[in-house]
Amino acid sequence: MLGLDTVSCVQAMISRPIVAGALAGLALGDPVAGVWAGAVLEIVSLHQLPIGANRHWDTGPASVAAVVAMTSWPGSANWLVSAGFGVLVGWAGSWTVYAMRHLNARLVVKDGQPAMMPSELLARHVSAMAIDFLRAAALTLVAVWVVVRTAAISGDAPADAAAAISLVLLACVCLAIGADVTMMARGRRVWTAFGAGAALSTILWLWLG
Amino acid sequence: MDRVRRRRRPEHDPLAMARLGRRLSLRLLVRSFVVQGSWNYRSMQGAGLGFALVPVLRKLYGKDTTAMAEAIGRHTGFFNAHPYLSTVAIAALARMESEGTDAGQIERFKGALVSPLGSLGDRLVWSRWRPLCLLAAILLFLVGVPWWAACVAFLVAYNAVHLALRVWGLRLGWREGRYVGRALMGSPLRRLPDRLTIPLAAVSGALLPLIALAVGSTSGVGPLPVIGIAFTLAVLGAMRPGTGGRVAALGLLVASLTVIGLGVIVW
Repeated sequence: MLGLDTVSCVQAMISRPIVAGALAGLALGDPVAGVWAGAVLEIVSLHQLPIGANRHWDTGPASVAAVVAMTSWPGSANWLVSAGFGVLVGWAGSWTVYAMRHLNARLVVKDGQPAMMPSELLARHVSAMAIDFLRAAALTLVAVWVVVRTAAISGDAPADAAAAISLVLLACVCLAIGADVTMMARGRRVWTAFGAGAALSTILWLWLG
Repeated sequence: MDRVRRRRRPEHDPLAMARLGRRLSLRLLVRSFVVQGSWNYRSMQGAGLGFALVPVLRKLYGKDTTAMAEAIGRHTGFFNAHPYLSTVAIAALARMESEGTDAGQIERFKGALVSPLGSLGDRLVWSRWRPLCLLAAILLFLVGVPWWAACVAFLVAYNAVHLALRVWGLRLGWREGRYVGRALMGSPLRRLPDRLTIPLAAVSGALLPLIALAVGSTSGVGPLPVIGIAFTLAVLGAMRPGTGGRVAALGLLVASLTVIGLGVIVW
């Protein structure tokens, strides 16, 4: 369902990492971890806009993989590995969507003949959605299997690596926030508002502890 | 090719369609939710548009299979628009069909509508409203609002506008018919993306120190230096947004694969 929501059906944004992450976390018994994983993936994937024929990440399966990594990975590296799996599955998902869209082109015009009757059109349209459902389900299953298998044989990161891992994650998330803002809006007023928001948030954090 | 050839007019009185009717409106609205179900590189949303129009075509042509096949053929060609605003095209085309507009004019109309509907929807929804709602939801979560409340707030706020756009599009399209492009030009929605820019930037700014403190909590660096690093990196990302986004994603991928490799082989 999360895969279908990305493009094919409704687009109510339950496939966005923050929601899909919460749902996957809830299913795994830790919704808060799911929202954390989703929040990081959300920030990194925010600039992926589904405009026209643009190939964008498939965030539904990516969020599920990220949450499974977040909850199953041993030790302090789980945040980074979760985000990494999210990016990898999102990117792989974009290629499966690309292939599916080529397949759909052949489905809607079968043997050079477009559908001419409502029943035929309905059958082809629903078939395309069924293919999308199966694609997303298969991608999610494969991704979860890989995450679980890898987590099972992986060791815990040593304590001195935790700081470096945290810094890498911090750098990537902050770079992504800057890129997100400029890709969506530009101008001096944007930077004034961005700076004011950051300053206010910092002051409130210092004040309220 | 005779592109201006008049097609067979609907057998029923077009006046019967003067009001779209609640039941038919609802059916068009529901079908608009899956307008991208068979999105493809040949006709893009074309098949979805034809699928969405079927209830109207059934009402107009009934059991006349030849007229029905011609009508479906007219609407399953190339078409693309923002999915939420596809209702504008669906309703306008329904109106044009009911008025017996010729095939050439319908084809030109569809072509002319692709760009304004795409541009308006992409700027308003994908570039402003969606990121604003998402970042606000993350901000709510970071300031201590329960996870479920942040998610529900996002879904409710985002989808209120989503649904309103679909219903507005349906009404506008039906009311204006072939003149819907002119109505879109004068729509107040065109100015809305600019008005959402400042709130979006402010929410992004407010989010930055909080998410930085959360992900950098085990970095061994104090809170204020973490915020300083975060702001510097955000500015760097903003200076080259394309590169910044790619570096962030690639950095996460390479670093996590390195950690996975070390975890499996060394640790």
